[in-house]
Amino acid sequence: MDANKIAEIIIAEIRETVPELAGQTITEADSMADLGVDSIERSEVILAVMEQLGLKIPMVQLHGPRNIGELADLLHAKSAG
Amino acid sequence: MTIPVGIEAMNVFGGMAYLDVRELCDHRGLDLPRFENLLMQEKAVALPYEDPITFAVNAAKPIVDRLSEDERGRIEMIITCTESGIDFGKSISTYVQKHLDLPSNCRLFELKQACYSGTAGLQMAVNFVLSQTSPGAKALVIATDISRFALADAAAIQEWAYSEPTSGAGAVAMLVSDQPHVFRLDQGAYGNHAFEVMDTCRPGLDTEAGDADLSLMAYLDCCTAAFEDYSRRVENADFQTTFDQLCFHTPFGGMVKGAHRQLMRKLYKAKPDAIAEDFDRRLAPSLSYGKRVGNTAGGSVFVALAGTIDSVAPHEPIRVGLFSYGSGCCSEFFSGVVTQEGAERLRAMRIPDQLDRRYRLSIAEYENLLSGGAAIRFGTKESVLDHGIIPGAFPENGDGTRLVLERIEGYHRKYIWI
Repeated sequence: MDANKIAEIIIAEIRETVPELAGQTITEADSMADLGVDSIERSEVILAVMEQLGLKIPMVQLHGPRNIGELADLLHAKSAG
Repeated sequence: MTIPVGIEAMNVFGGMAYLDVRELCDHRGLDLPRFENLLMQEKAVALPYEDPITFAVNAAKPIVDRLSEDERGRIEMIITCTESGIDFGKSISTYVQKHLDLPSNCRLFELKQACYSGTAGLQMAVNFVLSQTSPGAKALVIATDISRFALADAAAIQEWAYSEPTSGAGAVAMLVSDQPHVFRLDQGAYGNHAFEVMDTCRPGLDTEAGDADLSLMAYLDCCTAAFEDYSRRVENADFQTTFDQLCFHTPFGGMVKGAHRQLMRKLYKAKPDAIAEDFDRRLAPSLSYGKRVGNTAGGSVFVALAGTIDSVAPHEPIRVGLFSYGSGCCSEFFSGVVTQEGAERLRAMRIPDQLDRRYRLSIAEYENLLSGGAAIRFGTKESVLDHGIIPGAFPENGDGTRLVLERIEGYHRKYIWI
C-alpha cells in the first residue's frame, strides 16, 4: 500500500472520529490539530489506522509528523520496515 | 504463611481553595463543547501559604490523629512522593515527621518519578512490610503535588492551553501495614512498562514542558503493555472480568476514557456502546474526586481509588485494578481488594465534606494569584506570607487542625496550625 492510499485511510478515519468535520475539505497538507481534532481523537485516529494496516508498534514511534502527508509517509515506512 | 499487606488508612486533601473549570475556560475563550471531553469540573488552586508540605501534613493528620500512641509509635518509615519538591536535598518527609509528631526512629526520604512516584512509594512501603525486618511496623506514604502558573505575559496563557484547566493540586496519605483495612494488595500481581521518553518534564525550578500528543501516546502504550505484563504474571487475568472497578492515573477524565476505549478495542474489539457502558460502570466512580481537584500527579491514581471506594461503597469485597503512569516514563498495573469495612473506614475521613468546605475563587482572585509575586518560589531564602491575600479563603476561626506556611527564615519553612 502506498503513502497516498494510507493518507486516504487517515482522512477517512478523521471523518469517522470527528463527524463535525463533514463537508470540510481535508488534504495531506492539513494537520489534525489545526483541523480541530483534539489530542484524544488524534490518538484514536492513529490507532484506528494502525489497526487497518495491521501495524503493531509502540505509538510513540509515530510521534513527530506535522501533517497528514508526513504521518502517511511515516506509517508507510513503518509498514514496509 | 502469607502476610496480608496494603493500605490500612487513607485520606485525600484537596486544598483550601478551588476554581470552577468551566468558568476558567469561558474566561480563556476555550472551545467549550470540546472541553466537555476533558471531564473536569473544578481544580484545586494552592494558595500562597499552601505548599506541598502543608498539603502532605493536612492529608495525613486525620489518619495519625486516629491512631493510639502505640500505633503511632510503629510508624517507622515516611515516604513523600512528589514532583513538587521544595529543596534538592532536604525532603518534605522531614517536615511531615515534625508537624505530625512522628517517631524519631523513623526512616525518612522522598521519591521522584513524575506521576508514578506515589505507586513507587506504595510498593516500597509494601515491600518493607513484607520483608518483616521489623514485624508490625507501619509506613506512611504521602503523594503530594501542587502546580503553580505564573502569568509572565499574555503569550503564557496560550502556551498553557489545556494544561491550565487540568493541572490541580492535592495530596493522598496512606498508612501501609499488615492490617490492610482499606485496600488489600494482591501480592505478586503487578505489571510494569517503562522506557525513556521526553513527553513531559520540569527542566527548570518552576517550569514545566511537555508534548500532549507524545504524552498521550506513551500513556496508551504503557496502559496496554503494563497490563500485558500483569497478565503474564497473573494466571487467567482478564481486563474485562477480573476487576470490578478500575482506577487509572487521571491527568483529566478524558484521557482515562481514551485509554479505556483503546484497551477495550484492542483486547476485545468491543463496540462503542459496550465500551461506554463499561466505562460508566467501572471507571466513572474513579473520577468523582479527580474532577474536583484536577491532576494531582503522584497522588492521582490514589485520588481515583478513594473516589471509587467512596462512590461504590461496596457491601461485598470488590477487586480493583489500578494503572499508574509517570512521564519519562514508568508505569504499573496492579490490583487489590476493598471490603465493606474499608469503605466505612474511608467514609469516616469525610473527604467530600472537606472538598465542599474549600473557598471558591473568583477569576479576578485567581488572576491576582497568577500575577502577584506572592507565591513562594523554589529556593526562597526569606519570606513572610500574606495570609490576607484572599480575604475569605483564610479561616478566621479554625479548630487548629489545618497547617499553613507562615514564614521562611534562612530557607527554613515555619508553619502554624490555624
